[in-house]
Amino acid sequence: MQLVLSWPIRLLIVIVLAFSLFVDGAGYVYRIANHYPLTGNVPGLPPNFGGWQLYFHKGLDLAGGTHIDYQLTNFPVGQARADVLQKTITVISKRVNSLGVSEPEIRGAGTNNDRITVDLAGVTADQAQKVIGAVNRLVYTKWVPDAKVTGGPQPGYKPAFTGLTGDDIASASAALDQNAIGWVVNVGFTSRGSDLFGTLTTANVAACPGDPNTSLAANCAGRHLTTWLDITQKDIDNWEDPAYANKVSQNYDTGCLATATPDKICPKLLVDAVTLQAILGGNAVISGGGNGFTQAAANDLATGINAGSLPVDLQVLSVQQVGSTLGAESVKLSIAAGLLGLSIVVLFMIIYYRVPGFLASLALLFYAAAVFATFKLVPVTLTLAGITGFILSVGMAVDANVLIFERFKEEVRAGRTIPAAVDAAVRRAWPAIWNSNVSTIFTCIILGFLGPGPVKGFAVTLGIGVVASLVSSIIVTHNLLAIVMAGSRFRRPGLMGVDRVRSV
Amino acid sequence: MSDPSDDTKAGRLGTEVPESEVPESEEEPEEEEPEEEQPGAAAHEELVAAAKVETPPAPPRVRRIDFVSRRNWYFLFSLLIIIPGIYFMVHSGFALGIDFAGGTEFTVRFTGQPTPSQAQVETAVSALSAGGSVISTGNGGYIIRTPPLSPAKQTAFEDQLRTSLGAYTLDQVLEVGGTIAGETIRSALISVLAAAIVILALLTFWFRNVPGGIRAGFQFGGSALAALLHDVFLLTGVFAILGSGLHLRIGEINSLFVTAVLTVVGFSVHDTIVVFDRIRENLRVSQRLSFDQVVNLSIMQTAVRSIITSFTVVLVLVAILVAGGDTLKGFALALLIGIVSGTYSSIFNAAPLLVVWRKLQPLR
Repeated sequence: MQLVLSWPIRLLIVIVLAFSLFVDGAGYVYRIANHYPLTGNVPGLPPNFGGWQLYFHKGLDLAGGTHIDYQLTNFPVGQARADVLQKTITVISKRVNSLGVSEPEIRGAGTNNDRITVDLAGVTADQAQKVIGAVNRLVYTKWVPDAKVTGGPQPGYKPAFTGLTGDDIASASAALDQNAIGWVVNVGFTSRGSDLFGTLTTANVAACPGDPNTSLAANCAGRHLTTWLDITQKDIDNWEDPAYANKVSQNYDTGCLATATPDKICPKLLVDAVTLQAILGGNAVISGGGNGFTQAAANDLATGINAGSLPVDLQVLSVQQVGSTLGAESVKLSIAAGLLGLSIVVLFMIIYYRVPGFLASLALLFYAAAVFATFKLVPVTLTLAGITGFILSVGMAVDANVLIFERFKEEVRAGRTIPAAVDAAVRRAWPAIWNSNVSTIFTCIILGFLGPGPVKGFAVTLGIGVVASLVSSIIVTHNLLAIVMAGSRFRRPGLMGVDRVRSV
Repeated sequence: MSDPSDDTKAGRLGTEVPESEVPESEEEPEEEEPEEEQPGAAAHEELVAAAKVETPPAPPRVRRIDFVSRRNWYFLFSLLIIIPGIYFMVHSGFALGIDFAGGTEFTVRFTGQPTPSQAQVETAVSALSAGGSVISTGNGGYIIRTPPLSPAKQTAFEDQLRTSLGAYTLDQVLEVGGTIAGETIRSALISVLAAAIVILALLTFWFRNVPGGIRAGFQFGGSALAALLHDVFLLTGVFAILGSGLHLRIGEINSLFVTAVLTVVGFSVHDTIVVFDRIRENLRVSQRLSFDQVVNLSIMQTAVRSIITSFTVVLVLVAILVAGGDTLKGFALALLIGIVSGTYSSIFNAAPLLVVWRKLQPLR
């Protein structure tokens, strides 16, 4: 125990406490440093300290939002499942970006690379599933003459499948054009797509040679290659109905497509582009003509193209949507329950154990500060179950102190002096404290790995809490006791909560 | 607080400061201290103190409260709760929450006045979806459960509910497919099992250094495991009675309940380890006592601590139960039952069981 009571350890405790308080109050430190008011919204929060953004990461049940578990089915043959999973996650991330969610979480799960879980704050399940779950199929068409067609972008022509689809696209991304004026979309094809695209664009140019930018004759329908989402043979069959053709030829709407029924006509056009020259290298640039696309339009188009290239089918396993009101209420309730729990424990300890109880309460505050700082630093995503885990760990934190103090009373009764009794109590209570806490840590590890989803958050906070409680009860309380015992004023049995004591 | 084991009448208050003693004796009415002196007769106390001040500290007397020989009563008491619980578990199973049963659950709060009655909501729901059920949470709040709905149907359901019953805020939508529900149950069972095995192994390892070696360690581990299973069965049994026997919503089993069970396992093992650690220490220190006596002494020495620790946790849980949100109430109740059971089982079951085992399989 000499080591525990040494000054370097005490210094370390003070440093840990100061650092924890800084992390806990990072928002206030920032406000004070920048002369902002202490409440209300201010710009620049959460503050960034050299790459550390110190704030509580709230789970969906506290922040409000949607959690979805997907099962991946129909894996493409001949590709590694892990790669397919990664690609799917990338595609979903791109789709989700269009929702403007802060910190979307899209993670692979499952033992066989066949699960994806998505956490989106502030989005309804409906919106989320429309954007993610929509399995849009990207289709390239060329135009073939049909005299009866009067509507659509190319009157006198109807679309025809080319065999080129989203499966043949490796990637699509928005980028600034060469002159850095407008935005374009770069499309990269797979080797099969590259061949097909080469053939199609060569045929395009052959349909009416010339420069389409200067000559109107060179901009004939046969030179257009058009990209759609989910266009079907039925759509093409109905092309002679101008209302139908015009509706389908409007800019695509994934929301409509996601909830489509067989009778509903949805806009499906991605882009109807004229081919400038034959493209053989497998990389195409879709430009907006004139000044090009706006950044938003280019992003939309790239997202749309990627949306078509989801490599697997997604099947919804479970959905949880939490309203933001309920989330805010839960936060309030948890904070209230936490404060209530902490103050009950502090009150009880002080009344029952007097000075040692008061010192243990101080240690408990150190414990709370350190645990909160850990939550921010790791960062731990706090859920309702997680906060409950923390509140419970307060009970466990007290347990070690109760063990020591009860033992202390026994030692005093057995005739030891108070300082000697403190030392003996800590030493003799230690095996029970160590064994019981280690068994809890093991339980937490098991839960963290094997437990069902919501239980994992609980296991993490409880585990952190137990470790911190070991430090606080053994090192902090013991040191505080030793410091206080150094002054004889406090060695009175009444203050120590013991019945009688042999005179020193 | 004095230990029940040592007769503190002798020499108590001899060196006390009276004003600090008075509030203390008032604060803990629930402490088991039959010998607590009543404050107020100060003059009398001083007389007593003067007479007894030189009395040396009494050696710990064994068998003040004989836990060990009354062990069969304690076992019987546990069985009185556990057996009906197991009967309900086998007979009617559990009331499953949405994450175990599968399905779609809407938590809504109607904002229009007057809010629709439960009967109105039930009529509207049964018109929209077969097999739906409605639970009222008060203040126009309802929990509506239906079989799993596809996203499109779910939206349609929400819209039609709004048309037929008026505006509401949608607090929560939970949709759980059968696959996930099955997996949750499986992983819950696996984690309870794994925790039990690890705890048995850890205790056997830690207590291998008591007289009798690794076999004695196994007795300690096995007894702790039995106490742990006692708590698991008691808790799940009580919830089977509450949920499927009495059809109370608070008795529903969900993944939070699993969390509660595992927490209880942790706490129960805490209490058991504290008693066992004391037994180990006393076996070393008091070699002239019989095993029964050592166990009894150890129980008495640690009972106060176990009760105090559980009491603080119980206070916190009652706070959550009273003030906490609706979702946490079942969880808090489960923990409450489990922690009381855990403390009971470590004092009244685990250590006496060790005595029984030692009698059946003597190691010395």
